[in-house]
Amino acid sequence: MTETKLSIKDLTKRYAAGLEPAVDRLNMEVEEGHLVALLGPSGCGKTTTLRMVAGLMDPTAGSIMVDGKEITHTPVNKRGMGMVFQSYALFPHMNVEQNVAFGLQMRQTPKSEQKKRVAAALDMVQLGHLGKRQTKELSGGQQQRIALARALVVEPTLLLLDEPLSNLDAKLRETMRSEIRSIQQRTRATTLFVTHDQDEALDMADRIAVMNGGLIEQFGSPTEVYERPRTHFVANFIGQANFLTARVGADTGAAPVGERYYKIDVDGFGQFGAVGVPGLTGSTHELVIRPHRLNVSLHPGVVGPESIAGTIERVSYTGDALAVAVRVGEKSLQAQLLTSSGDLPRAGETAYLSWVAEDAYLLPAPAKGLPE
Amino acid sequence: MSEARLFKPRFNPAKPAFGILVFLLYLFLLAPLLIVFVVSFASNQYLSFPPEGLTLKWYELLPAESTFMNGMKVSLIVAIAVTFIVLVLGVPAALALDRFDFKAKAAVQSFFLSPLLIPSIVLALGMVLLFGPLELNNTYAGIIIGHVAITIPFVIRTTLMSLATTDTSCEAAARILGADSWTVFRRITLPIIQPGVIAGGVIAFIVSFDEAVISLFVAESGLPTLPVQVLRYVENSADAAVAALSVILILISLAVVVIVERVMGLRKAVS
Repeated sequence: MTETKLSIKDLTKRYAAGLEPAVDRLNMEVEEGHLVALLGPSGCGKTTTLRMVAGLMDPTAGSIMVDGKEITHTPVNKRGMGMVFQSYALFPHMNVEQNVAFGLQMRQTPKSEQKKRVAAALDMVQLGHLGKRQTKELSGGQQQRIALARALVVEPTLLLLDEPLSNLDAKLRETMRSEIRSIQQRTRATTLFVTHDQDEALDMADRIAVMNGGLIEQFGSPTEVYERPRTHFVANFIGQANFLTARVGADTGAAPVGERYYKIDVDGFGQFGAVGVPGLTGSTHELVIRPHRLNVSLHPGVVGPESIAGTIERVSYTGDALAVAVRVGEKSLQAQLLTSSGDLPRAGETAYLSWVAEDAYLLPAPAKGLPE
Repeated sequence: MSEARLFKPRFNPAKPAFGILVFLLYLFLLAPLLIVFVVSFASNQYLSFPPEGLTLKWYELLPAESTFMNGMKVSLIVAIAVTFIVLVLGVPAALALDRFDFKAKAAVQSFFLSPLLIPSIVLALGMVLLFGPLELNNTYAGIIIGHVAITIPFVIRTTLMSLATTDTSCEAAARILGADSWTVFRRITLPIIQPGVIAGGVIAFIVSFDEAVISLFVAESGLPTLPVQVLRYVENSADAAVAALSVILILISLAVVVIVERVMGLRKAVS
């Protein structure tokens, strides 16, 4: 049985009267032990949300509850949280051990216990041997681990991570990703993680809150937000996506997880299959197809009875993969193929595109500005 | 093998020329000090250059010169009090200017820095007129208020410089870890900005100890500071005792700077 650890209700932040709210009536529930990523472009309100949960910023309206207790107006130093900042924010005048011990000192933990817990926290991040070092002698990755140890040593009610990987180089970022995730799972610390990097969110999070314009566009598991995006924004922000406009026809039967198969008519290119939530028949919806699920053939009839013909605009070869841009009428569709030793498609050739119904998802909300 | 020799730099006439220029500049800046230093050991009856012979008599004379000793006492008391007060006022003022946005911010900032721009003779005159009805002329309080006014810009400047380079998320991190505002200030902010605070304090001490104009206007008759006594002494007598005193003052200032540099790294704070 899982328990709700953090519950946010109608949380709103308006920096000044008359301005658009930075966070607009946001609702979210986070389960105990989960790592939740707040993902979105800059200015979407993710950092503002995190700072309100931390208590570094006062909400304009709404409430924040932790373990069923309202903490909306609890002072920041009484919330018992742990936070890792983008800049790590290590205290420059203290050595590594003193940094990690700071939170325990504030809690007046007995000296002997402080020592044990600091040592354990440093061992956890594999830096037990650097306790006496000055923080500025450490590399970015090491500073990051110290910041994590400092936040976790107090056994925080919530662990808050504000873009903790964005100051690291690409290689190190991947290592730290899995390391943070494994430490988080071992300590079972309920964690809020702010990031603008969708790969990070997909890789690390139990749940992702995709944010845009102060709102959560979708809150779900990584596979849900990738496979079943609720909005155009989510489909476009998480991974790459092709969008087509589809007139939804007959419901042709039950698909897994309560969805339905539909016959659809794509921009007059013919009849195709797609999946979507029940009850879409008769309206117009956006169809989302990931580039690597678009089948490409240089010969008609190979990819399926129905296909869309287009002209190859550009081929980008990266060794194991091939990105192909195909112009179909007004649109340019992106397809991604694995390379083989045979002939590669070339720009200017005609390509035939198709897909299987399971790989084409109809967005639940009717497409705007299009005839019903 | 001879690769290194290929790149052996030719003689560059700019180098010695630059050295000579630097030497001349230093000479220009330090010449008055050097002359005072030499004159303080000269046996000439009156303050003059070059020396006719060498003697230590001016130094021997100093302890007996009660005006100097009294002036030294007044100046030290004033400078210590000014340093203390100016830090207590200036550091929080700098913090407020750096960390908060408020309506009159620009006005407050220029108010605090304005004493640097106003000629001290104007400032001194204003103070005499203001202190008269308040009965602050010829009191320690009067001199100290005057000196605080002219030294607070330095403390605010140096502290602001230190604050500008600190990461404010350190303070946020400490608060999240459970520290209240006072603990954050004492354990995080103050240690981080310490170099700027100390630099400001040292500058305030030296400026106050050295200040003549305000002291002369506000407390010439009742509570003369050392610079005032030196002025008076030079007016009345023209022997080299003043030069000996000057050398001692230079050495004291130098000692303060060297000690602070050794202990705290003043250079780091100022640059």
